[in-house]
Amino acid sequence: MTGRFRGWIPLTLMTTLIVAVGAYAAVHQEAFLTKYNLGNLLLTTMPLALVAIGQTNALLVGGFDVSVAALMTMCVVTASFTMGPGSSWPALLAGALALVGVGLATGIFNATLIRVLRLPSIIATLGTLSILEGASLLLRDHPEGFINSNVIGALNSSVSFVPLAFIGVVVLAVAADVWLYRTRTGLALRAVGRDETSSRRLGMSTGRTVFLAFVICSLMASVAGFYSAAQVQIGSPIIGNYALESIAAAVLGGASLAGGKGSFVGTLLAALFLTLIGNVLPLFHQPTEYAQMTIGVLILLALVLYQGPELVARFRSNWQGVGRLRSRQGEAPAA
Amino acid sequence: MSSPGPASPLVLSLRGVSKAFGAVQALHDVSFDCRAGEIHALVGENGSGKSTLLGIASGFLAPDDGLVEVGGRRRRRGSPAEARRFGLGIAYQAYSHILDLSVAENLYLAVPKNVQPAYGRMEEWAAARLEEFKVDVPVTAVMGTLSLAHRQLLEVVKALLARPKVLLLDEPTTALGPEEVGQLHDLVLERSSVGVGIVYVSHRLPEVLGIADRITVLRDGVSQGTYEAAGMSEDALVALMIGRPLQLAFPVRDDNGRPSEVLLDVSGLRGERFGPIDLKVEKGEILGIAGAEGNGQAQFLRALGGVERSAGKASCNGHELNTKSPLGALRAGVVLLSGDRTRESLFPVLSVRANTTIQVLRPLGRWGVLRRRRERRTVDDLVRRLRIRMASIEQPVQSLSGGNQQKVSLTRPFLRGDVNLILADEPTQGVDVGARFDIYEALRAKANEGVAIIVKSSDPLELAGLCDRVLVMSRGRIVDEIHGEQLGERRIVEAIVGSGITRDRTSPAEGRPA
Repeated sequence: MTGRFRGWIPLTLMTTLIVAVGAYAAVHQEAFLTKYNLGNLLLTTMPLALVAIGQTNALLVGGFDVSVAALMTMCVVTASFTMGPGSSWPALLAGALALVGVGLATGIFNATLIRVLRLPSIIATLGTLSILEGASLLLRDHPEGFINSNVIGALNSSVSFVPLAFIGVVVLAVAADVWLYRTRTGLALRAVGRDETSSRRLGMSTGRTVFLAFVICSLMASVAGFYSAAQVQIGSPIIGNYALESIAAAVLGGASLAGGKGSFVGTLLAALFLTLIGNVLPLFHQPTEYAQMTIGVLILLALVLYQGPELVARFRSNWQGVGRLRSRQGEAPAA
Repeated sequence: MSSPGPASPLVLSLRGVSKAFGAVQALHDVSFDCRAGEIHALVGENGSGKSTLLGIASGFLAPDDGLVEVGGRRRRRGSPAEARRFGLGIAYQAYSHILDLSVAENLYLAVPKNVQPAYGRMEEWAAARLEEFKVDVPVTAVMGTLSLAHRQLLEVVKALLARPKVLLLDEPTTALGPEEVGQLHDLVLERSSVGVGIVYVSHRLPEVLGIADRITVLRDGVSQGTYEAAGMSEDALVALMIGRPLQLAFPVRDDNGRPSEVLLDVSGLRGERFGPIDLKVEKGEILGIAGAEGNGQAQFLRALGGVERSAGKASCNGHELNTKSPLGALRAGVVLLSGDRTRESLFPVLSVRANTTIQVLRPLGRWGVLRRRRERRTVDDLVRRLRIRMASIEQPVQSLSGGNQQKVSLTRPFLRGDVNLILADEPTQGVDVGARFDIYEALRAKANEGVAIIVKSSDPLELAGLCDRVLVMSRGRIVDEIHGEQLGERRIVEAIVGSGITRDRTSPAEGRPA
């Protein structure tokens, strides 16, 4: 039973922290609980939430995608060309499709490097990161080119203070978690992330699973790009540190660096929490640099707390593990 | 035992299958088939190509050449999913369990979609299946917490869940005790009686002769023919399995004048896959460890070297041997030559020079700075002595042949003055014939200096030629000792294949560390 229970720790912890920090801020600063601030908080969460949900896919299959931030930048830059002021709605639709196209192409490129050429995902996506950064700077060497205000308005439309898009992301995360933990294909994904050799022996299409995970990761990053564009509102070649933050959110939300474990709802909560820290600190006239440091400390704490039991077990069977790994890999060609 | 007539349809058929891994031809033009309701055993020594053949049949490996038909349908490509759709079930020797998932989840993943129950009813369904196959484990247990015996039984259960037409079992009894072997055989016989074709791979000839209808023998990747089990004996099978042309020379044994002084004394040593083991090794002795792959030989050796967890007593040269860490073993003068050279012994990208001297840098330097000239001279000497062939001692080790790589890892015990015991895990695997003799000679030279050597090898010919004494392991325990006049290839093979149900009374699952 403890094994099943453990999956809820990250969700509980994230919720508790959000409530605690929120309550503290609400008591001490009137400005925090205003509709304006809460709506703004949820909107600022959007890019990180989307990209982190994508990143969770990559972590679930045991990889990383560090190219997501560069891809988001590329999408913002692309939007400044294809979704400028004065474009007609059909032209804007085509422009939006161009962004998704960039995401799809990047995803397929990453997945090909990782599955077909068998590069480690960190190295492969580092390469992609560099290519995309260069391309963005080539297209816009300084912030330039406004993004259509109608589009920004549509992306930011809200019911009361809650952005429609945020409701959409909540629904998406819950649906994805139900899929991951309550369906056959979700189980298969977790199995592939945990042990690829065994999964392949059981007849699962491991290659396709990993390929799709990286394509979805990039697609989510390109959708996150829309919300970055709505925030910066101009074709800027410099967008925040989303690669690390997305991994941070996924890990705080319960994803295992070894693959096969994670929760989309947990990731969403963690993204909200990380954005909340950045939202609250200015209210207390604290420099936002503290947010960076807090995030770093939290990731380390989360790793120790969630993966502690695993780490202890791994430490114990360390020497044995070396032997097991060896015999497993050496066994295929031998008779 | 069921005896299907020749009219029974073929459920598995391989025609002219070949497969090479790099330069090694694992299978050469092998044909093999299995009829409905038949138990067809596949036997051969370690490395004869049994697992490769199964891998090809199951779609995990793609053959270089040849045809594969499952259930009368021709397989197009290497795909385990397709093979399963066509009616093939396989229990892998190294298991296909996902250790972090529960038993129920593992069973669920093992069956095709049309057999899977609704996701929510998984545990109920799994419990019913386990009852059907009389395996008593909780379905919510995490697979990794179960004993090896249970994991092995569940591997067979998983293969049977999809109701296959043909069932492949790869060494299904290595972790099982006698009672569980009986349980498994009952299950296999029951399935064959309802028309399932069974391919049974094992090195345990008594088991094979007791259960099989037909037997095919593989030797060095080539089929030695298919025979009716009723007309076969253990002797006849062994004769087919060995008989490789003798092309190796061995250094001369010089027992005379060797003082009989015990160096290594092990008592009650046990680990996850072996034990309890008691043995004594004398100074200057070369002791061989034989056995079918996966019976704990490597783990035992690695435990002595401190790289695998173990419990029990071991003393070396009169002092207690600390087997908790590789450093403890090294301090006692115990050197492990790992079977996985490139990952555990050598630094593949570093030069021959660096790999040779890395453990003994202190005496080669002055005030903490290496003296290159002295280092080079030392390495040059050893290179000449061990006949390592290379362009320069600055060449990265990864660019050398397997034999020369092994010689580089062998230089280390020559550089340490304090070596008492060398543990050599498959010292000549992937090594060409010429280099083998050099390695044997180097080992014998160390032995003549009074060092004790334990060699784990899957090659009985090598053990017979090199060692003074050979121990045979089965299911993690020593089941036979061969020395003196008796020591020969045939005697070793007989001991390995004969170590079946009758001689072994304890399951290795009980031999876990306390």
